[in-house]
Amino acid sequence: MTAISIEVNGTVHELDVPPRLLLTDILRDRLGLTGTKIGCAMGACGACTVLLNGAPVRACLMFAVQASGRSVRTVEDLAADDGELHPLQRALREHHGLQCGYCTPGMLMAIAPLLESGQPLEPDAVREAIAGNLCRCTGYETIIDAVVEASRP
Amino acid sequence: MKPSAFEYLAPETCEEALGALAEHGDDASVLAGGQSLIPMMNLRIAAPRVLIDVMRIGELRGIRSRGDRIEVGAGVRMTEAEHKAGVPLLQRALRHVGHPAIRNCGTVCGSVAHADPAAEVPAVLLALDGEVVLRSVRDERVLAADDFFRSYYTTAREPDELVVAVRIPASAARVGFHEVTPRLGGSTGEFATAGVAAAGERDDGGRLRRVRIALLGVADRPVRAREAEKLLTGAQPTADVFAAASESAAAAVDPPSDVHAGAAYRRRLVRVLTRRALAELAA
Amino acid sequence: MNDWPLYAQQRWAGKRVQRLEDPGMLTGATSYVTDVQLPRMLELAFVRSPVPHARITSLDVDGARSVPGVRGVLGPAELANVHPTMDFVELEGALKTPRIALPGDRVRYVGEPVAAVVADDRYAAEDGADAVVLSFEPIDDREPIHEGIPDGRYFRQVAARGDVDAAFARAACVVRRRLAIQRVVTSPLEACGIIADYDPADGELTCYLSTQMPHLARAAIAEALALPVSHVRVLCPAMGGAFGGKEVMLPEYLCAAVAAIRLRRPVRWVEDRSEALTAGAHGKEADAELEAAFDDDGSLRAMRSRFVSDTGAYSSGIGAYVEFMVAAYSVPGLYRLDAYALDTGGVVSHKAPLSPFRGIGMTTSQTLREVLFDDAARALGIDRIELRRRNLVDDGPWRTVLDEQYEPGSWRTAFERALELIDYAGFLDRQAAARANGRLLGIGISPFVEAAGLGSAGGAGGLPGTSHDNATVSIDLSGAITVALPTFSHGQGHRTTAAQLVADMFAVTPKEVRVLDGDTARTPFGMGTFGSRSGVFIAGTVSQAGRIVRDKLLRAAEVLLEAAPEDLELVDGTVGVRGAPTRRIPLAALAGAAHFAPHVRAELGDPTLTASAFFDPPRPTHSNGTIAAVVEVDPGTGGVTIERIVVVEDCGTMVNPMIVEGQIRGGVAHGVGLALLERYVYDENGQPQTTTLAEYLLPRSTDLPAIEIDHVETPSENGTAGVKGMAEGPASATPAAVVCAVLDAIAPHGDLIEELPLRPETIAAALSEG
Repeated sequence: MTAISIEVNGTVHELDVPPRLLLTDILRDRLGLTGTKIGCAMGACGACTVLLNGAPVRACLMFAVQASGRSVRTVEDLAADDGELHPLQRALREHHGLQCGYCTPGMLMAIAPLLESGQPLEPDAVREAIAGNLCRCTGYETIIDAVVEASRP
Repeated sequence: MKPSAFEYLAPETCEEALGALAEHGDDASVLAGGQSLIPMMNLRIAAPRVLIDVMRIGELRGIRSRGDRIEVGAGVRMTEAEHKAGVPLLQRALRHVGHPAIRNCGTVCGSVAHADPAAEVPAVLLALDGEVVLRSVRDERVLAADDFFRSYYTTAREPDELVVAVRIPASAARVGFHEVTPRLGGSTGEFATAGVAAAGERDDGGRLRRVRIALLGVADRPVRAREAEKLLTGAQPTADVFAAASESAAAAVDPPSDVHAGAAYRRRLVRVLTRRALAELAA
Repeated sequence: MNDWPLYAQQRWAGKRVQRLEDPGMLTGATSYVTDVQLPRMLELAFVRSPVPHARITSLDVDGARSVPGVRGVLGPAELANVHPTMDFVELEGALKTPRIALPGDRVRYVGEPVAAVVADDRYAAEDGADAVVLSFEPIDDREPIHEGIPDGRYFRQVAARGDVDAAFARAACVVRRRLAIQRVVTSPLEACGIIADYDPADGELTCYLSTQMPHLARAAIAEALALPVSHVRVLCPAMGGAFGGKEVMLPEYLCAAVAAIRLRRPVRWVEDRSEALTAGAHGKEADAELEAAFDDDGSLRAMRSRFVSDTGAYSSGIGAYVEFMVAAYSVPGLYRLDAYALDTGGVVSHKAPLSPFRGIGMTTSQTLREVLFDDAARALGIDRIELRRRNLVDDGPWRTVLDEQYEPGSWRTAFERALELIDYAGFLDRQAAARANGRLLGIGISPFVEAAGLGSAGGAGGLPGTSHDNATVSIDLSGAITVALPTFSHGQGHRTTAAQLVADMFAVTPKEVRVLDGDTARTPFGMGTFGSRSGVFIAGTVSQAGRIVRDKLLRAAEVLLEAAPEDLELVDGTVGVRGAPTRRIPLAALAGAAHFAPHVRAELGDPTLTASAFFDPPRPTHSNGTIAAVVEVDPGTGGVTIERIVVVEDCGTMVNPMIVEGQIRGGVAHGVGLALLERYVYDENGQPQTTTLAEYLLPRSTDLPAIEIDHVETPSENGTAGVKGMAEGPASATPAAVVCAVLDAIAPHGDLIEELPLRPETIAAALSEG
């Protein structure tokens, strides 16, 4: 067992973990944050995308020990404390950018950093930016529409 | 798809890491970005007993100038290299590697050490006459890329050696990069069926000089199309010249057939993509 | 009272209402089976066969039992009392392949489960699985996969209508195309999963199961384990996609259940992607051939089809017969046809058993038929659109050569509209100009019809089938309305659609309607969601049950308001007297009166404001549309770029157009995958070659263009409220449009295309030296 200190959604957790415990599993099973999904366990589908020190990473391709001393942000942290949806979440809903919802957390975390610059995004750039996140339901277009809109205040 | 158990080491100095490698040898794998290693571990295709995480080692971070070379340390992630290394061919090629989330973790040196013959970074290193810096408790040595890549996922690295950096000659060379995946036109990010990384210059008379063409996905390692390069030296960049060079490059390879593509198609891609990479370079 | 119109208001049905399901999904709060945590839950991992065909000589689990964290190991002996799974098909000549949960004697495909290890977590369970020693000896390839099916062919049906041979003999032009339709994997992003939890105190088994058919799964599990159905509960909080891959009763589910019963602890099995690709819900593979006979003016005279489905190692799952029967029976499509001969059936093989996959056999027949029409157009020298125009049936009802009765639709109208939108005439000019510049552009058009909402009488696709669906509507003492559905959403937004319908029936808002699905303890019996049936069955059952409850509500109001029925109206959650705004009673008060006021109760007879109603439509609905695709082929690499996809869809009255469009776009994406990307490959030794998502390519955003949609609305005559089932039509019809477009792009070079998908390599090979 290895002692780690990991900040998740603003709270620091001191935990003892086996080295092979994946970041997906510490989030989902140890911390009960089941919003982050496992779709392929090899980085191809993007369902497990979380933010590590602000940058999107695949939680299925990282051991919890590697994230010690770092800051993780998951989908559960996007909406405000009072439940008000993040503009990106709102936009996805308005545009019907989700159906079964399984890809949605990973999609949100992959996209959220793109909005930070405040620059309006073009559809082609968004299409490219979400190419790492598989969706089996929507055909992607309504997701792109939502992100484009959310990027314009 | 959960990995087997392993002992985890996170040394903070290079010396510690090398000591661990010397001790464990083939029982150990180096963990940098993990984007190639961890999928294999999740599938239990790889089950190292010891994992040496090198990402906490300060001296391995950073992109530095070393004389006429740019040195990219083992701790440099692909995203950082894409934006900060100042190597245009590397920047072009990195856009094709996985997806942004993969590049945020994966490292340039990790890709080099992994030596997937269809990977972009090894081919770029080869095209730019790059070098690999290897260190062990015994010594440090620098190998030319062509000497480093031996075969499928096999390099000249000894079990107790660590790839601590790659060195790329700084240059204003023109570049061209084209690759094809089984996906639809324009899609990046998937494993390449074949690709071409090219660098070169044009002299005052417009003739091509120092053209280097590296091919990925068509052999057991990235390979230089040296006969084609000879044809291009001193030549004007015309369609006929490009056609001859691409034919030569295609004729010189004996590509493998696998589930993604047959040999004939890969050879065709060498011809087509070499022409396109050269056109891009000469433009 | 039952003369009342279906809707008391028209505020929600027909509108793009944002989904009630979304906030939970967006915030990560919605649970899927893989997210449910039960106390003391264990995880299960399987030992799976590494070879396709062998006799098991020994299975040594001792090593596994001593791995840290392992709590139990199940082999064939532990599953010996589980009944084999069997298909329900009663077609003459069908040879059965009962499926035993863990085969003790032999394995039939790579990935077949042979033992199960249960441990504290999945890591330890996989450690345990690694420690199991499985020994086997190869079986001669000539030995049949199943005794009793010596040549592997478990079913064949041959039938003909009209004088097919004579029509072919007379024909001015005969075209023929054979395609190897590839094996695919349904690949919902959430793979399969089950948590089995047994309570020994009351002998009840609860299964959290990612399933499209909770009630049918419940019955199948109960039967297999010899438990009374009422002792089994199946529930699913939410499902991350299914597409047909979560219909089959998997042996893995039964293993989890037995493990839970034996160990007296909840046991979870989560199918990982590797399992899903290797041994999971495969689909579609077939050897398909179609011939068509035309007069020289382009009139279609006859067709002959031959389909042989490669069903995999067992034909006992739902995916077996639906594939080749629907393929054969959907060949006529929207074209006038008087003579048709079919020869269809399936073989078993050393591969994973087939599941249904969105569109099932319709995809195959549609692709083959439209490709053949383009072939005929080229052979006859007639424009491909003209050829279709000459043969398309007119808008309106149509009885096919197979005696399938289409209700009225917009077959021609949708076709012409798609041509307008894609600018067919303009495209031909563009194509010629592009060719002169060495660029290869192509166009494909695919008019389709989709039968859905099949009840017991439906029998489309030659399959006998029966149907039983109920909905329950109830109003509680606080006046809140609850609807329990017979269907289960995989992501299609049923809760929202049903809430819109009920809101308009009762004059409330959708947010005030609570919708239940996916739990056998909270919903009446229903067949679940598959075959684009949900729209029809939700509308049908909910309207029936809703009317009964509304009837009671209105009678209670009659008593309390002392008004005549024709003077009552439902407004804003109240029942009132028309023209007298002060005389309104809220639903809660009516519910209270129904429960507790004796004089009101006496009027109602049954004072519970609850009703369940059963709906079995006498006739199916028929939605239709046309897909048009424009592509460009890279002459050097053979790579395809899709420039545009246009969909014109007519699914009758749309309850939520936003949801309908979502289904269209998702279906088109599946179609692109089938046409150009997805294929599951076994080598000549029966070993899978495409075992990860790096080899099995699912469509990404960059593979798809913007998908343009236009609607026509021909209200259904057979579906309640004019609703027609949809969602598989676009999925089935898109491969045809894309394949035809690619073949059109490379037409000057000829094509030797014999298989799908159309990969860059296959296309490049068909082109002359680039």
